[in-house]
Amino acid sequence: MREKLIEILKDCCPDVDFETETSLIDDGILESLDIVTIVTDIMHTFGVTLSVDDLLPENFNSVDDMLRLIGSKL
Amino acid sequence: MSFFTLQFAALLAAALIFYYALPKKCGWVVLLAVSLAFYAWGGVKTIFYLLFTAGTTYASGLILGRFNRRDADEGKVRAARKKLTVAACVLLNFSVLFAVKYWDQAAGLFSLPRLSLVLPLGLSFYTFASIGYVIDCYRGKQSPEKNPLKYLLFVSFFPTVVQGPISRFGQLAPQFTAAERSADNVKRGLQTAMWGCLKKLIVANRAAVVADAVFANPENYGGAFYAIGVLFYCIQLYCDFSGGIDVARGVALTFGIDLTENFKRPIFAVSLADYWRRWHITLGTWMRDYVFYPLSFSRPMGAISRFARKHVKGKAGKVIPTAAATFVVYLLIGIWHGSSLKYIFFGLYNGAIMTASVLLAGVYSSTRNKLKINEKGAPLHFFRLVRTMAIVFVGRYFTRAPRLLAAFAMLGRTFTHPCLYQLTDGTALTFGLTAFDFAVIAAGVAVILAVEFFEERGAKILDALDRKGALVQFVFILIPLAIITAQAAFGGDAIDASSIYRQF
Repeated sequence: MREKLIEILKDCCPDVDFETETSLIDDGILESLDIVTIVTDIMHTFGVTLSVDDLLPENFNSVDDMLRLIGSKL
Repeated sequence: MSFFTLQFAALLAAALIFYYALPKKCGWVVLLAVSLAFYAWGGVKTIFYLLFTAGTTYASGLILGRFNRRDADEGKVRAARKKLTVAACVLLNFSVLFAVKYWDQAAGLFSLPRLSLVLPLGLSFYTFASIGYVIDCYRGKQSPEKNPLKYLLFVSFFPTVVQGPISRFGQLAPQFTAAERSADNVKRGLQTAMWGCLKKLIVANRAAVVADAVFANPENYGGAFYAIGVLFYCIQLYCDFSGGIDVARGVALTFGIDLTENFKRPIFAVSLADYWRRWHITLGTWMRDYVFYPLSFSRPMGAISRFARKHVKGKAGKVIPTAAATFVVYLLIGIWHGSSLKYIFFGLYNGAIMTASVLLAGVYSSTRNKLKINEKGAPLHFFRLVRTMAIVFVGRYFTRAPRLLAAFAMLGRTFTHPCLYQLTDGTALTFGLTAFDFAVIAAGVAVILAVEFFEERGAKILDALDRKGALVQFVFILIPLAIITAQAAFGGDAIDASSIYRQF
């Protein structure tokens, strides 16, 4: 799952080092346009349903946060 | 009442005396009394619009809070009732906004009777802030405020009610009762407000004279002066709006209240998206949270997304929903500015460029790689700065020209009939400004650019000032005050207390 997620993230933002970044939202590395593209990609790839209520910084600040969010929806 | 009047200075002084003389627990009552007095000064009748918005959104918040509590207690979700409550509240308040702001324009198109309603000050600003509160209550992110007067203070808070920033209840309201009272806040607040006054009274009002002259009688000027008119309009707009926000933030800070940033040096934006993240930030974040995200994850957009992925190959198929939602948001931002076709086109213009940049991001990236352009190099950065300025500059023809067709004509003539001879034949001195006024504008713009350049590089100007002695800090309040007083005494026509964004 991790590799697939990183593939999605890299496809959206190739210049970001997702393995090490832990403040993707707080530091403004991911913008709203990126978030929507990533979330729709996550929904299509993993078959989960995410809503506006899930769009919290703590769910998208790092790869681990996103994996935790996806895990909670599976 | 405008921020830039002696009456406002007197009201602020009285408010500060009462605020700091009375016990801390009475602070919010003083702020409410001052806020209502400030608003009523602009027209007692229009305060009923504000009370209507405050009343309906307060009640909706309470109802949604009750549903949320029952849901939590009983372990089930009453989605339909909650949706109905929030939809009714949004519809009611946006109907008022539509009736006041857009009805007469629409009525003209369809030969319907006009309402000719007076536009209440800051209607869009406080409507947006209140609707944001209701949606946050709906989402369970915000507990409803039980005290109607404390809620009314959030809606009517006098530094923000007229031209923003569009505050969030969760960020602003807790400060009404817990704001830190300190001399340092008063000093910093006054310094920030003075900086805003300088921008507005010294630069914006002078720049407005040129823009107004060119756009009032475009037939008198060649295309080069249209570009100059737009340039001065850009200066006016930024110094007027950001100056007003500086005053709002400074005034709020004198009461220990920290308002959200609304500008982040837009002149240094490297793309149109970046520009909109730096310009009128609170409108952008409002649109993001309450329009862009919900629209992007709505069922129809889900269907578009599935269709696009199936039929459009590559990255374009993935970003089509993002691009579509972006387009809708910028169209709404255009309409937010006004009902005229020129504002709708302004929204379409921004939306089209933003949408194209989302769809073509992959093409840009591969082109840069092919041309071996250094992504982090200064030339590319400079190119992006200039490109963004040019896009914004062209867009401003549409918001400033009297009508959409006039904007197109003026933009065309800028290139086809520049009449460059007018630049040297003294035409510039027929606007009503002297050479001294132009020098003041140039010096003002240079100072603002220098300050923003250092801030962009991480400098904290007020922190640096803090390290100076008390006398120096005091002088930094007195100098702007002296300049403004001198202008009030000798400036004549250059004094204009109104602000462009109040009308929105």
